[in-house]
Amino acid sequence: MLSLSHVSAGYGGDRVIHDISLNLPMGRSLCIIGPNGCGKTTLLRAIAALIPFDGEISLDGRALSSMKRRDIASRIAVMSQMASVYLPYTVYDTVMLGRYQHMKRTFFGRPADADHASVERCLEKTGLTDIRDRRIDELSGGQLQRVFLAHTLAQEPQLILLDEPTNHLDMKHQVELISYLRDWAGDPGHAVIGVFHDINLAMSLSENVLFMKDGKIVGEGVFEEVATPEFLRELFEMDVVGYMEQSYGRWKALKEGDKNGQGIQEQI
Amino acid sequence: MKTGAKIALTAALCLLVLVMAMCIGSVSIPPGDIAGILANKLFGLPLKERISNINAEILWKIRLPRALMAFIVGGALAASGTVMQSVLRNPLASSYTLGVSSGASLGAGLVMLTGASFSFVGMFTLPLVGFVFGLGTVFLAMGMTARLDRNMENQTIILMGMVLSLFVNAILTLVTALSREHLQQLVFWQMGSFSSKYWIHVAVVAPLLVVCLILLMRYTREMDIMTFGEEQALSAGVELKNIKFLLIAICALMTGTAVAFVGTIGFVDLIAPHVVRRVFGVKHVVVLPVSALFGGAFMALADLVSRTVLAPQELPVGAVTALIGAPFFAYVYFKRRKKAV
Repeated sequence: MLSLSHVSAGYGGDRVIHDISLNLPMGRSLCIIGPNGCGKTTLLRAIAALIPFDGEISLDGRALSSMKRRDIASRIAVMSQMASVYLPYTVYDTVMLGRYQHMKRTFFGRPADADHASVERCLEKTGLTDIRDRRIDELSGGQLQRVFLAHTLAQEPQLILLDEPTNHLDMKHQVELISYLRDWAGDPGHAVIGVFHDINLAMSLSENVLFMKDGKIVGEGVFEEVATPEFLRELFEMDVVGYMEQSYGRWKALKEGDKNGQGIQEQI
Repeated sequence: MKTGAKIALTAALCLLVLVMAMCIGSVSIPPGDIAGILANKLFGLPLKERISNINAEILWKIRLPRALMAFIVGGALAASGTVMQSVLRNPLASSYTLGVSSGASLGAGLVMLTGASFSFVGMFTLPLVGFVFGLGTVFLAMGMTARLDRNMENQTIILMGMVLSLFVNAILTLVTALSREHLQQLVFWQMGSFSSKYWIHVAVVAPLLVVCLILLMRYTREMDIMTFGEEQALSAGVELKNIKFLLIAICALMTGTAVAFVGTIGFVDLIAPHVVRRVFGVKHVVVLPVSALFGGAFMALADLVSRTVLAPQELPVGAVTALIGAPFFAYVYFKRRKKAV
């Protein structure tokens, strides 16, 4: 169980999130949704103890503040928005770096057999085995995001935190990634928390949502119960449902036009 | 070619450069005599008849310590440049980014200006003061960074190092302007030189730099992870702030020691990691020691050129490293890029 009790955090002297409390049992996923600047990413960074915070965050009863960085990393992994590539490691070496907190410190840093076995498993799960020796600066955005997913899985965490994980991905790869993570979080020992801008994508990960605005939780629970049209209008300061219906209606009209012999592209 | 074979080839090239540095000079010593002279000096075996005592003394007392000093200093600068580029995630970062050379130059300038000499260190007064000032500047930059930015982010470190370097350089300019009679001495010191470097210098510098290099080897995995960014490193379990501080402190110690003894010699620390990564890949467990070998050989070669090309006059070794290094770097870098395109 992940528990947050009265957590506040920010940058420098400025608080971005205020008095956040929540509980997330293992085997569940949670989507954090809200407008730009509402504190979603800050909350995620606080849960990973990447920034200092007030209040208490604990995982399975152990406070993060009492854990060493390596202990935290063996329980919580962050899959950030596309990390930039500074040096071109191979796919295999990049995934192996995810094993850092499991490895013993040695002068020449040789990984143990267990580390190699874990990396092989992660490459296989993410479909990267065939490109294991490729340099990561030669990969497409979708392949690179899968490398970072494999790196995250190699940490063997209980909790994966996702910050806009599908940026830079086309629709097929977005669906594949979210689908994989949803299945992963179905394991009773795992949990996933994701930050999303796209409500549809968030819904495909989990129906459990937490809405944020101005650094505070303004709604939480099952999406259909919380996200009324009025609630979404107030949150995003626009008619979200009306916009989605309009978009869907336009698509539908184009689709029907297509049936009548006119191509969608042609009409656009 | 496999990595092991490439490393063996690099080591062989290093040995070749050292042999050249021992053979070539105003007095030419045949390569075949080197083993005999070393056996005589190290194990007391008798010298062969064809080897003159003068040649043996030149090699043992002048050329070998000088070549070793150049090799060790070049290796240390290259290793610390490699670490700084990875820790700060900046391809233009070098051993000097945090102001170690400015601080050491100010210290050296003050010693020259005041003629100070500490009896307990004697001839090492200037290196000691240069070392203390160089290291002091880096730690001041780190301390001010820590006060301004709890997370010690890379851009804050780099900016603070630059600001402090400029500030210390301004003080140095004032000091030299007020004491023009020492200007030439200071300028030559800053250009860097391995002349008049003997076994006593090697004995002081070598153990320190070798221990630092071994310590750095313990953190190659952390350096790998840090190249993916600070948040990735923290998330992977790296105690980022402590390790970053430790690595920068070790680099400052290495660079400060090197600068204090031989002056400011640039370029090696900047190009060695880039060239080595092009040939050996990017994993620090390989790049770090090979950069040290490459930097050492490059510096020994630059010193050989500096003392022979216009003999008996010596050229500033810093200028030679740039003159040889810039085109070589451009060739290696752009050749690969062209291939990639």
